Amino acid sequence: MLEQVALSRLLQLASPLLPVGAYSYSQGLEWAIEDGTVHDAATAERWISDVLDFYLCRFELPLLWRMRQAWDDSDDAALSEWNSLFCAGRETAEARAESLQMGYSLVRLLKDLEGFDDGVLQRLTSITPASFPLAYACAAGVWQIPAIASMQAYAWSWAENQASAAMKTIPLGQVAGQRMLLALGQHIATAVQAACELHDDQLCNFAPGLTLAGCRHETQYSRLFRS
Amino acid sequence: MQSLPITKTADAANDPSTDADIAGRNGWLAHLELGFVAVDQRSVLARRRHKGPLVVQKSLYPEGSGICHAIIVHPPGGIAGGDRLQLDVNVGMNAHALLTTPGAGKWYKANHEQASQQLGFKVAQDAVLEWFPQETILFDAARAKLETRIELTTNAVYAGWEITCFGRQAAGERFQQGTLLQRTQLYRDGKRIWAEFADLQAGNALMDSAVGLNGATVNAGMLIAAGIVPAEVLEACRAIKPEDSAAIGVTALPEIFAARYLGMSPEHARHYFESIWSIVRPWYAGVQSKRPRIWNT
Repeated sequence: MLEQVALSRLLQLASPLLPVGAYSYSQGLEWAIEDGTVHDAATAERWISDVLDFYLCRFELPLLWRMRQAWDDSDDAALSEWNSLFCAGRETAEARAESLQMGYSLVRLLKDLEGFDDGVLQRLTSITPASFPLAYACAAGVWQIPAIASMQAYAWSWAENQASAAMKTIPLGQVAGQRMLLALGQHIATAVQAACELHDDQLCNFAPGLTLAGCRHETQYSRLFRS
Repeated sequence: MQSLPITKTADAANDPSTDADIAGRNGWLAHLELGFVAVDQRSVLARRRHKGPLVVQKSLYPEGSGICHAIIVHPPGGIAGGDRLQLDVNVGMNAHALLTTPGAGKWYKANHEQASQQLGFKVAQDAVLEWFPQETILFDAARAKLETRIELTTNAVYAGWEITCFGRQAAGERFQQGTLLQRTQLYRDGKRIWAEFADLQAGNALMDSAVGLNGATVNAGMLIAAGIVPAEVLEACRAIKPEDSAAIGVTALPEIFAARYLGMSPEHARHYFESIWSIVRPWYAGVQSKRPRIWNT
């Protein structure tokens, strides 16, 4: 059971009010809608759920997990290594810019909150550029949120943003959006567990359809999102 | 294990290892090391050393003495389970090397043993390495591990592509069993600037998902590490279309330019990349592209 203050901190970190600009990114979903691959609630859920399985679960979440372990173990060399792998593994200009912008915003917020001691901030800012999962691992560590719970929150915020992008763009109604989140919420629990069990040699950011959607989004004529 | 010819050079003849080491119980070990250096505006293949069946044909200069072309040959013609191929290339200051292969790299059915290829490229300041192999064909039930590590110093340039075919298309074969492990990493002055990790099991839902291969049998990527791509070069690359209805895309990261092809034809993938090459080569190497003749055969 989560300690009560940690639960509040978890909800704060997962909230759409967290000023990191997550709502402005669709991560290629806007292109998938433009080209017709995603056109209704069922195809939207398939796309989002596949990105969860093939990208988040195989790369982003396992690296968040490793960064959190490294943070808790005060292993800055490992922290830097995993952050570098995450950044280098973002294969399109928009995907990389997104992660660095969100990382920068979260680091700045943590500084502005004034509750973090200098040693913590120095550790965090000594690694540049800071990816979003790096800053997230640090915040969750300092706030003593259990690692698994923080990964679920991370994946949940991501899913919520994806659902929101689908609802605005396709468009879909509120109930359809909530149904999708109900299904994704179930899926996230198993995805996070799988992500924690992945070995280093199983890390995989291979999702050519997703990468191509990111490339094509860069020149999409009419768009609401920055990725 | 069938017997395959080993071509020996003078270097290898002095190697203390025996044929028994090379053709181990579980497959062939083949290792080729190449070193290119610049001597008075001329790029020269100054060092070559090989062990086992991986060799380089003599250096060619179809573009003049500044650029050394070398064709990497794997005489057995295919890679079987247990085989290990290793290619290490050093390009010294001011040198420019272009490497290609005479035909498709074939990865046979593995009989439960993994086969591997390791590429280690080091490129010095003011040097250029181009790696344009012909396609890699993964036969059904192949178990391939392909690792590429590229280390660049200061302003060194790397340009390369990889074209991977899942199954022998001509034979109507699909990749229904087997595995592909592929890792490509680029470093500049010790800093990692690109990482692509694939761990693919045949039959996995990723092969048909729109997020993954989307049913395509050919996945291909081209990478250029030469700093920031000028806007007009990027625009011209974006205007290029493949000859088929494959999905394509380009992106320009601060340190990497990448182009991709996801479709059904290795030839069309290469033609698409060749068109891009004709646009980007004047930018990264200051010369026009010139098709190696071996690609015509």
